[in-house]
Amino acid sequence: MKKEKSLIAILLLVLLTLFSCTKKQDFSEKVLHRYSKGEIKGMDPVRADDLYSGREIARLYEGLFEFHYLKRPYQIVPNLAAGEPEVSEDGLTYKIKVKKGVMFHDNACFPGGKGRELVAEDFVYAIKRMADTKVNSPGWWLLDGKIQGLNEWRDKYKGKKADYSEKVSGLMALDSHTIQFKLVKPFPQFLYSLAMPFTYAVAKEAVEKYGQEFLNNPVGTGPFLLEKGKFTQSNKIVYLKNPNYHERYYPSEGNPGDKEKGFLKPAGKRIPLMDKIVTHVIVEAQPRWLNFVKGKIDFLVPPKDNFDQAIIAGELTPDLKKKGIMLSNKDQLDVTFRAFNHEHPLFKGNADLRRAMSLAMDQEKQIKLFYNNQAVPAQGAVPPGIAGNIEGYKNPYLQYDIEKAKKLLAKAGYPGGKGLPTIVHETISSTVNRQLGEFFQKSMKEIGVNIKLSLNTWPELQKKVKTKNHMMYAMAWSADYPDAENFLQLLYGPNAAPGANGSNFNHPEVNKLYEKVSIMQDSPERTQLYEKLNKMIAELCPWIFGVHRQEKVLVNGWITNYRYPEMPHGMDKYIDIDLKKKKELLSK
Amino acid sequence: MNSFQYILRRTLYAIPVLLGVCLIIFLIFNVFFGDPTALLLGKHANAEQMADLREQLGLNKPLYAQYFDVVKSAFTFDFGRSWATKQQISQMFAQGVGPSLSVSVPGFFISTILSILISLFVSHFRGKSIDTVTRVTCIAMMSLSSLVYILFCQWFFAFEMGWFEISGYEEGFPDFIPYVLLPVIIWVAISIGPDVRFFRTVILDEIYQDYVRTAKAKGVSNIVILLKHVLKNTMVPIITYVVIQLPFLILGALLIETFFSIPGLGTMIINALNNYDFPVIKAIAVVTSVGIIFFQLLTDVLYTVFDPRVKLQ
Repeated sequence: MKKEKSLIAILLLVLLTLFSCTKKQDFSEKVLHRYSKGEIKGMDPVRADDLYSGREIARLYEGLFEFHYLKRPYQIVPNLAAGEPEVSEDGLTYKIKVKKGVMFHDNACFPGGKGRELVAEDFVYAIKRMADTKVNSPGWWLLDGKIQGLNEWRDKYKGKKADYSEKVSGLMALDSHTIQFKLVKPFPQFLYSLAMPFTYAVAKEAVEKYGQEFLNNPVGTGPFLLEKGKFTQSNKIVYLKNPNYHERYYPSEGNPGDKEKGFLKPAGKRIPLMDKIVTHVIVEAQPRWLNFVKGKIDFLVPPKDNFDQAIIAGELTPDLKKKGIMLSNKDQLDVTFRAFNHEHPLFKGNADLRRAMSLAMDQEKQIKLFYNNQAVPAQGAVPPGIAGNIEGYKNPYLQYDIEKAKKLLAKAGYPGGKGLPTIVHETISSTVNRQLGEFFQKSMKEIGVNIKLSLNTWPELQKKVKTKNHMMYAMAWSADYPDAENFLQLLYGPNAAPGANGSNFNHPEVNKLYEKVSIMQDSPERTQLYEKLNKMIAELCPWIFGVHRQEKVLVNGWITNYRYPEMPHGMDKYIDIDLKKKKELLSK
Repeated sequence: MNSFQYILRRTLYAIPVLLGVCLIIFLIFNVFFGDPTALLLGKHANAEQMADLREQLGLNKPLYAQYFDVVKSAFTFDFGRSWATKQQISQMFAQGVGPSLSVSVPGFFISTILSILISLFVSHFRGKSIDTVTRVTCIAMMSLSSLVYILFCQWFFAFEMGWFEISGYEEGFPDFIPYVLLPVIIWVAISIGPDVRFFRTVILDEIYQDYVRTAKAKGVSNIVILLKHVLKNTMVPIITYVVIQLPFLILGALLIETFFSIPGLGTMIINALNNYDFPVIKAIAVVTSVGIIFFQLLTDVLYTVFDPRVKLQ
């Protein structure tokens, strides 16, 4: 009997140990817990072509410029640049001073393992690396044809080992801390390029020492360091504050009302404000939601299946309010669309047919059914928050009107859809895309247009678009940088497939205006022309415009100054946590 | 022919099997699937870059040369680097195999042992209510999707009760234990239904043999009959069933790993499929095939251990 009792006691003890072995929260230091929905591929800036990897890379590496943490619309501010750039009158030459005293992270690639000072030549090297065909950076599009002599250098060493010591006329280090760029033609978005991870400074010594393993051995100047020094593809990445980080301070200016909202509370404080950042790779929605509610991750875009548990009628549910959770609204800089192939005889020059189909789409219903009301109809290509979007503008061919659609269809030569062949609509085979496709199919049926859905994997769809082998397809575009040019280039004739203009839309007036406005520096005149171009495109209906998506972000109550950045690279260094409040809220 | 010759012959048979596997993988990806460069280069891919990448990936080579590359990597186990992540595939395997095995090995052994014990027990009470209840429970458990187990257990035991971690993984022993407890329990729950049904059938086939009746007539206790005689004689089908599952243990459990953020090979497979990462998929297919060939051979050898009547010829 005694033996049995001891056995039961041991068993209970084991069970208790097992069941109580969940990790406790640590309140001794400021730790930001982030999540990533996708795998982190590596830590090489020239490969930062996906949002998830780019965000991680920007903790370790930095560029000459970055986006202002608080101000909207987005503003470019110096990061590793010592100040504003000197731009020549013709807009072709950019002279930029590099900040002095910035040190690379300590690493075995440097003599004595001690990080050396950043110099202008590091940017020259990083940009040449981007152009090197052997590296085959997915970011090359950003500077392709933009810098004098760079394409020539690239072509000269195509498929060969490139000579990085060879001078490129448009990309020079004038002295140890001055870099000069000479552009082929004016490109006012150039500074945005220098804020993107592809152009971040890398140390030549590190690339040479680690070779192909450079992606796992990051050596940057960023505000954080990898805890283990080396990157391994895992479900968790831990970053520690860089003790040698150069002097940077929290901004003392923001948008009107930011002071009252507490966003300027850390003004003037040295950044980064966090001691540690932990990125948890959580692919599935349920564990993301459960971890957030338990306070194990700090922000969350509520998953579709948990949306009603989080938000009702645009407001937080009482349960979440009780936990001190806050709601932050975020306009995504994107546009969804259904593109016609303008090289297909059916759509080429047949604006009435395109307009009729556009009018038959009930956008409001689509937003309600598929986006939880978290989207606005896209009246044109440029999303709100970017100069070129026209506030209050209603695209006359996007207002759901079946009668008008029927009339236009008849005008196009297909009364009641008679004589119109079945239109094959290419889309992705995921459930949501299929359902969206079915909704489109049903909407078109109302005016007598027959749609056949063709479901594709992503590469299949890409292939069809790139080879112009389609009648129409559905897609979305997210901003690479906050400028209308990034959206309008999708409808610029010379960019036809396999370029970014997958619809092969080619309209002389649109092209002419695009060519004029896309090289203008930011000014009220440029905004006016962007608006004119956006409106012109909207009314030509090269696409059936879809929506600009919005997101609600849930933020745990201990985060004191969270502003969702659509351009997220390097922004985590500004985020602050109230540890006392965290302890208090989690103990509830 | 002795055992050594048999093993040698079976090993040589593996060569055409592997060549066939390579051919199937090659056809799926190089012939039917087409050009992956647009996907790999992202939304800004242009014709020039796609052509450069095709050249770099060896996709411009004649088909026979590309097939030879697949065969070469299968026989040298040098799979190169992932197209999507540029990581070395052998390293990806090395990093993923530990987390996968930390869930699959305990899950597999616990479920197998538990299922055999339950099967022996219910076989002894064949036709009684305990047998019926077990059978019905097994069918009910099998009828549920593994997703139901995962979603419910994660929500109830980890979130509501707080007994386990919701998701995550720590490398190194014993740090990983709290993170794999619930996944292992779920593995066992998912496996136990089909396992018990199979083992029960096998044991029942044996329990009506003459030697069992004779043993009973001689007064041998039921426990001895079941554990000493019946169990030993059912080992051949049990081994076949169990050993053939071993190569799949390395690959982990796709859904369990994804939902619990365990950075194992299951997660790697899902990422590779999503990214159309041919070298990684090829490596997984080859490793799995080699595993199956090896464990089938091991099964044959084990037959001779448990049943002296079996000869390797």
